[in-house]
Amino acid sequence: MTGLPRPAAGTAEADPVIADELRQLLATATGRAELAGITLDTPLFGAGVGLDSLTGTLLLRQVRQRFGVDVAAEDLNLDALATLGTLASFVGDRVAGARAGGG
Amino acid sequence: MSTSGLVKCVVWDLDNTLLRGTYLESLPGRPPADPALASLLAELGRRGIVHAIASRNPPEAAEYAAQATGCVFVAAECGWGRKSEALTRIAAGLDIAVDALAFVDDDPYERAEVGAALPGVRVLSPEDAADAAGWPEFSPAEVTEEARRRASLYQQRQRRQEAEAVFTGSHEDFLRACQTQVTIAAASPDDVPRLRELSERTSQFNSAGQALSAASLQALIGAPARDVMTVRLRDRFADDGLVGGCVIDRRQERVWTVPLLMMSCRAIGRGVIDSLLTWLAGGAARHGAAAVQVPCPVTERSVPLRLALTRAGFRARPDQAAGHDRVVFRCELGAPRPALPDWVTAPGET
Repeated sequence: MTGLPRPAAGTAEADPVIADELRQLLATATGRAELAGITLDTPLFGAGVGLDSLTGTLLLRQVRQRFGVDVAAEDLNLDALATLGTLASFVGDRVAGARAGGG
Repeated sequence: MSTSGLVKCVVWDLDNTLLRGTYLESLPGRPPADPALASLLAELGRRGIVHAIASRNPPEAAEYAAQATGCVFVAAECGWGRKSEALTRIAAGLDIAVDALAFVDDDPYERAEVGAALPGVRVLSPEDAADAAGWPEFSPAEVTEEARRRASLYQQRQRRQEAEAVFTGSHEDFLRACQTQVTIAAASPDDVPRLRELSERTSQFNSAGQALSAASLQALIGAPARDVMTVRLRDRFADDGLVGGCVIDRRQERVWTVPLLMMSCRAIGRGVIDSLLTWLAGGAARHGAAAVQVPCPVTERSVPLRLALTRAGFRARPDQAAGHDRVVFRCELGAPRPALPDWVTAPGET
């Protein structure tokens, strides 16, 4: 099992505000309102949310528009999309990093 | 931009462009269609280019335009928002790149707005458009059976999407309920024109990032240790025909390399690319290979393809560079392989 490309991405606690916004984006990208209630450990592929190429691409586009984080450019294998929690941590790390770096 | 810069869809203004006059001001009468543009619409339609509408009119105007021109419009954006936003929605709805659109409007303001917001769109006045039939971006080298039926395939696709919106159950259940059939087979020489067209038109789902000529495809069919595969797709809504394919290079004994993996954007979300990747891994394992590798561009455009590859168990390492902005995605075949769904027919599968 290969880990995330940056160790920090998997270790940070998922920011609950970011996770909530991601739930909304997921519900929009998939057209399934019930996804607004999923837990952090819900897999985004397969049985959980069932993201496919189409809905996954829509989600990443919305994440970039909303948070300015380009997951596809930074995460070669798109491991950040494993669960809602990994995605929230990945986005949270980079949002925090941008704030710290930008002063 | 699509690999070749070909226009896939022309978005038309109505008032004083496709229609000779203004729809609302002509009521209760109706302005006639511009006859020269109506025949251009038909000609481009025969070349597999589809049409859409972006108009500052009520939705009835789009229905009227279809009647007046005798042409099918695969999307209509009627409203008072920015036309660049209307074009963005049209491209998203058709799953094509915005850069594969052309836009025709008599109003210089609208042309400037679209040109500034979406620099990749071919922006034309109706006078420019009259000559468009002679331009290379409106002239695909070949017109296949799939291309001629493209407008109706988009309409059937819309009906499928409407059915899915009210379907309760998983996406896989929906594909089953649609009687989806994916057929993977070795390419025959008859498939070359459509494969060449696909290699030119596909952008999001094209691992090679460039078109293959008919001659190279022809040479690959039957070449030793190479395979050219086709994927066909049909369901109860439509027979989409040949929607995808791949080239396999088996010259390295233990590793199958796939220099080209491609799929029509129209087939997105219907299990085609996943089936093909599952079959590739299964086929390679049966032939004693240890791995399958797919060199793939790492760009924003390739995100859907990368999602499909990682979902199918392929991994890339940043050091596996294969040239500028490309990496090799590799699937190790040691682990047990998932079976193909029963609606996939493929060589070597029972």
